[in-house]
Amino acid sequence: MNASAWHMLLEGAWTTLWISAVSIAIGVMAGLVIALIRLARIPIVDQLLVLYISVARATPLVTLALFIFLSAPDLGLDLNRSVAGILALTLNTTAFNAEIWRSAFRNFSREQSEAAMATGMTPWVTFRRIMLPQMVITSLPGLVNEMSFLIKGSPAIAVIGIVDLTRVTNRISAVTYEPLPPILVAGVLYMAIIGCLVWLQRLAERRANRLAT
Amino acid sequence: MSEANTSEMAAVSIRHLSKSFDDVEVLRDVELEVKTGEVVTIIGSSGSGKSTLLRCINWLEKPDRGSIHIAGQRIGVHEDGRPMPVRELAKVRAKTGMVFQGFNLWPHLNVLHNVTEAPIHVQGASKREAEERAMALLEKVGMVDKRDSYPNTLSGGQKQRVAIARALAMQPEVMLFDEPTSALDPELVGEVLAVIKDLSAEGYTMVMVTHEMAFARAVSDQVVFLEKGLIIERADPETFFTTPKTDRVRKFLENHDTPSPA
Repeated sequence: MNASAWHMLLEGAWTTLWISAVSIAIGVMAGLVIALIRLARIPIVDQLLVLYISVARATPLVTLALFIFLSAPDLGLDLNRSVAGILALTLNTTAFNAEIWRSAFRNFSREQSEAAMATGMTPWVTFRRIMLPQMVITSLPGLVNEMSFLIKGSPAIAVIGIVDLTRVTNRISAVTYEPLPPILVAGVLYMAIIGCLVWLQRLAERRANRLAT
Repeated sequence: MSEANTSEMAAVSIRHLSKSFDDVEVLRDVELEVKTGEVVTIIGSSGSGKSTLLRCINWLEKPDRGSIHIAGQRIGVHEDGRPMPVRELAKVRAKTGMVFQGFNLWPHLNVLHNVTEAPIHVQGASKREAEERAMALLEKVGMVDKRDSYPNTLSGGQKQRVAIARALAMQPEVMLFDEPTSALDPELVGEVLAVIKDLSAEGYTMVMVTHEMAFARAVSDQVVFLEKGLIIERADPETFFTTPKTDRVRKFLENHDTPSPA
């Protein structure tokens, strides 16, 4: 592999990284918001959210990405590839994250929030200062798991023409006729990215030990 | 008018309080007045409604009928019957401090931050001010050297002492103790009771549900006996423990260790 091949690989890695990062950031937040809304059990809204979650969890990423990219012009939307890719990844991961947050809410101990309310905290302060920090810690294994699923599933967005870390290896081997080296390097780069996440998770686990009483 | 006046003087004033869970009446027309500086102990067998009564005082449990005033201020509903908005309810709640049977310390915060959390995020105290106050309280409960520890490293007795400091940090008008030693190993009960005893000597107003009869006799100004949601006997501790008026209380005391003045 020459310098330009390396350059292309790193560019592909960067594309995978930033598109995934943006999708993860939005997806984790949106999942929390959906879980919060579902706590209120608003009729119709709740059913719509359940429908979204089931559909999004059941749809393959490739299908979802294609659908969004191809239907956008019909809806009068001018989506560029990156936005369509992020949208697909986000819609997918949000559904899974919403379920992770929801179970964190369900399992949160009532005694903990009662102790907070008893000191005069409003429900909002209780949520922000007492519930959320503990829910983040207990949900992190599930969330990080979902993050690595998303990164590993991200090559699906190549279907709408995004040149990510996997797609770029194709392009390189089309010129060099040596497919193995670039795909090997790509594999190592994926492992490095996921490795960072796992390391983060281990840091979090050390904190989680405190919650075990 | 005179009723409003007595309410203002009392730390806690409970009138005609009733509550049911499904079909079971757990509190029936309970009347209780706790004067400032007074220690009131609520005694009764399990299921008599004593914890529910305590939890109604800070509205963790919503009564069906009746009224509760904390230092003259109505909790939970306005005088005209409108339910109280959550922010307002939280403000009245802050006038009470509660100590739970299961401690309920916040496990993600260390000892110091368990105590400073509410003063900073409810009262808006500065970090320095809250920490100064917290350190004085941790000193009082003998937990200063554990200020940086996390709850999971503490013994039950230590957790409960921190929980007491956490409740005191909001400078409440009344402290509510819900069986504070029931979850403790026998050898740890003493250290928690000693702290509570110090507080009573310092003039804190307290309402306590407990099974520690000797302790109740030693610290209380008023003992209340609850049976099936009714207060069937109330007296000063000497009268209550030596010459109970009802057979029910006599029987109850016989089944518990006969307390001697501690």
